[in-house]
Amino acid sequence: MSSRKLPRLLQTPAVVLLLIWMLIPLSMTLYFSFIRYVLNSLRRPEWTTPSLSNWRGFGNYEFVLNSKDFLFAIQNSLFIVCSILFLTVALGVLIAVMINKAFPGQGIVRVLLISPFFVMPAVNAVLWINMILDPVLGLQGLAVNGINDLIASLQGAPGIGWFFSLWPEIEPISFRATQTSAYAVIIMVTWQWTPFAVLIFMTSLQSEDQQQKEAAVLDGAGTYSQFRFLTLPHLSRPIAIVVMIQAIFHLSLYAEIEIVSRGNGNKNLPYLIGEFANNNIGAASATGIFAVILANVVAIFLLRMIGKTLME
Amino acid sequence: MGRIVLENVTKSFGETQVIPPLNLTIEDGEFAVFVGPSGCGKSTLLRLIAGLEETTSGQILIDGEDATQIPPSKRGLAMVFQSYALYPHMTVRKNIAFPLRMAKMDQSEIDKKVEGAAKILNLADYLEQKPGQLSGGQRQRVAIGRAIVREPAAFLFDEPLSNLDAALRVGMRLEISELHNRLETTMIYVTHDQVEAMTMANKIVVLRAGHIEQVGSPLDLYRTPRNLFVAGFIGSPKMNFIEGPEAEKHGAKTIGVRPEHITVSADTGPWSGRVGVSEHLGSDTFFHIHDTGLAETITVRADGEVGFKHGDTVHLTPRADVIHRFDAEGLRIA
Repeated sequence: MSSRKLPRLLQTPAVVLLLIWMLIPLSMTLYFSFIRYVLNSLRRPEWTTPSLSNWRGFGNYEFVLNSKDFLFAIQNSLFIVCSILFLTVALGVLIAVMINKAFPGQGIVRVLLISPFFVMPAVNAVLWINMILDPVLGLQGLAVNGINDLIASLQGAPGIGWFFSLWPEIEPISFRATQTSAYAVIIMVTWQWTPFAVLIFMTSLQSEDQQQKEAAVLDGAGTYSQFRFLTLPHLSRPIAIVVMIQAIFHLSLYAEIEIVSRGNGNKNLPYLIGEFANNNIGAASATGIFAVILANVVAIFLLRMIGKTLME
Repeated sequence: MGRIVLENVTKSFGETQVIPPLNLTIEDGEFAVFVGPSGCGKSTLLRLIAGLEETTSGQILIDGEDATQIPPSKRGLAMVFQSYALYPHMTVRKNIAFPLRMAKMDQSEIDKKVEGAAKILNLADYLEQKPGQLSGGQRQRVAIGRAIVREPAAFLFDEPLSNLDAALRVGMRLEISELHNRLETTMIYVTHDQVEAMTMANKIVVLRAGHIEQVGSPLDLYRTPRNLFVAGFIGSPKMNFIEGPEAEKHGAKTIGVRPEHITVSADTGPWSGRVGVSEHLGSDTFFHIHDTGLAETITVRADGEVGFKHGDTVHLTPRADVIHRFDAEGLRIA
């Protein structure tokens, strides 16, 4: 046995295991996406067992492409993911820079900041939609009522009453509605994932070279210029990491969408897969393949964009 | 122009005063070196002049103008840091252009100045590279380039050569000296290496624990050190200090004789001892002589060809005209 063979042989179990772990689900998905496969059919019972004799070619893909929700689901997936990414990165950088300076109570603030990340997604969604965003019982409803009451009482006040009587009564927003349910999801996921961004940016900020900043001060850079030309480029790699990881996670959002509106006006690709999978496994698999392609496109596109804007 | 005057400047960190009241004048065009052991406050002093540290009390005058409250960027000083402090994600060109860009200068003007600085510092071929691709010496030159383009009233160097290897350090030392001759701008240079101080300075400021021990030209300090500390710090190898009866003969508590002012021979001389370690540098040989009854070791410089061996008994003759005498307080007796 040559000296190369033994190490390779010893690696084999791990490699084979990995291949099985990755390849089998993917190839099964691919296989199902090319055959007719449903969970329940009285008319065509032979479709309920996966078999090559049920070959459908690209029929499932055609079916998915032509279904009325598909394009909307892709659009909505991208809208939700991009909004969350933008908000978490912007808020994350802002908060990380703010808490990077020493101040009393820093330790407690940091722990509090991280804590949303430990809430389970479903719990997070239930809490937000029922206790905070609910137009009647949630904090939103209470706040809107409070403001309306305040304005109403001010309208009677002498001198300034005329000014407040110009104000319309504020209507609470129902976040379960078709037009707004995506915003509810974006808000709650942003709340949950901003701490993740803060955590990563904070560790990176602590490794920033202080002498570089002093040099920049002497070179005449103000606070904004230091942030723009030193801190942001320094953060470009952690930002890329945060964007990559979050893009992967948020393309597969499900619990929040289910809880907020059961997909009403707010479907993404995973939710569409879920709907198809109620019966039509073939179509669900084809959608899954589309989701894989979308995830790759998004990842490549985002990384290019970040690389260009921050690394100058 | 760059005449820098410190008047009763002090600096405290909390309760501890690291710079007691200090007065110092650096004339326009001078190359002043702050030298002293680590922790003597020389870097703090430089940072006070730069404005990176706030002055606790006293005044810093730059060209007669009180700069104590002026922010660092408005003082017209440029600083070169020990770690170079280059901006790692910018090319060499952008690094050098950064202060000009911050000053909102015209792009064509910026290009002209950057090209000029790159030419002076032999960086023209590296302008499009990033600092990470450069060697230590090149990085240091980029840092100097970034300082030059601002045409500052004075350059501040904070131990700029400590991160370079020995050969490069000698080369950069020459380059900085040449730069000073060419630009004729005030330079303040902080180092703990007395060789750098001796070779580069017009004016050396020896500091200990925030106090100025002596200010003068390199040769002044070498010839007439004001006290034991300066005598021991300036000169390499260190001056030999001898106490006891031998010193009393000269009417002093301590006498100091530099290694290069002692002649060593096999048979004649008032002092005698055994050769310990001998260091052969080729041009010179340094002998460390033990058992002289004067001090633990006496260091002697001899010609490179002198070949005493370990354990040989030798005789030493100090040059009578260059024996430094110090009193009980350690101050020089004139």
